[in-house]
Amino acid sequence: MPVLPRMHDTDAILAELRATLAELFELDPARITPDARLSEDLEIDSIDAIDLMDRLRRQTGRRISIEGFRSVRTVGDLVQAIQALVSEG
Amino acid sequence: MHARSDFAAGGPAARPIRDLYYVRVATTGLSFLFFGLFGLVLGLLVVPLLLLLPGSRDLRRVRVRRMVRLAFRSLVGFMNQSGGISYAFSGAERLGRPGQLVIANHPSLIDIVLLVAFVPGAACVVKRAAWRNPSMVLAVDAAGYVPNAPTGEMIERAAALLEAGECLIMFPEGTRTVPDRPAHFHRGAASVAVRSARVVTPVFIDVRPPHLSKSVPWYRVPARRPHYSLTVGPDIDPAPFRDRPPPVASRMLNEALKSCYAHVVRTT
Repeated sequence: MPVLPRMHDTDAILAELRATLAELFELDPARITPDARLSEDLEIDSIDAIDLMDRLRRQTGRRISIEGFRSVRTVGDLVQAIQALVSEG
Repeated sequence: MHARSDFAAGGPAARPIRDLYYVRVATTGLSFLFFGLFGLVLGLLVVPLLLLLPGSRDLRRVRVRRMVRLAFRSLVGFMNQSGGISYAFSGAERLGRPGQLVIANHPSLIDIVLLVAFVPGAACVVKRAAWRNPSMVLAVDAAGYVPNAPTGEMIERAAALLEAGECLIMFPEGTRTVPDRPAHFHRGAASVAVRSARVVTPVFIDVRPPHLSKSVPWYRVPARRPHYSLTVGPDIDPAPFRDRPPPVASRMLNEALKSCYAHVVRTT
């Protein structure tokens, strides 16, 4: 299981996230680009978001509330949200 | 006479009314009245008294659920005795097992009343509005029911109940089916099942003619006495689905649930 803790640069986070999304949703990693929209392009819905939050919680070891992810639309938004979260310290 | 044919479901071309139509209109009204009155007395008087009795939180929850079950059983009895409905529940003895997720299609307002009346000790996922209703809030809270909401909290609370070995009732459609329109099975129930149900047991509800369905006012009583047929289907084991990651597993299970309901409800 990949672990996210001390990662601050977006490329590394994107790489980890790509692996996570590909595994969790059985997606082709090539489709997981920063511009890809989670719901329209990757068909990740609100129930999937719960499973994703669970996974991120385990990977980052942080309490993640879905509130911080309300404005997330694309994979790129998600990378930024995770970065903000892990750099909070 | 015009008013009469209008009143019976189906409008001017409706079949002739029968089965003591006007008595049924009256007793249907009485059923709602009883629901409201007993709801007030139970919710504002009996539940607080039950909560005053000594015992652990778990024991209190058991007592409140028992009270709700008894009340719903009485309501079903009244509707049946007064000729408002008839019903047949086959396989009810297989409901109420530890960690069992009981799912059902949702054609009528009183589906949950029938299920709670016949599933011992069960928790259920209930309309959020119940927590805003002064006569219901204490009961639904003390009974440990889960408010329905498209959030992770609902899924996590429902999954935790099953994990703890309780039996849980859920409607995958979330809300009542509109007659003649395809139903949508939300993935919430499948997601809860994949997380922690030991077994998923479908109940097939068939109401003929349609009764207390969505978008029909209660006094539009069907021309014939409606018959509720509740049939408990074969158990579904969620374990094999868990070989895949949860989002994929819940999609596959939801598809399996839809096809198992194909004979009673058209799904999208």
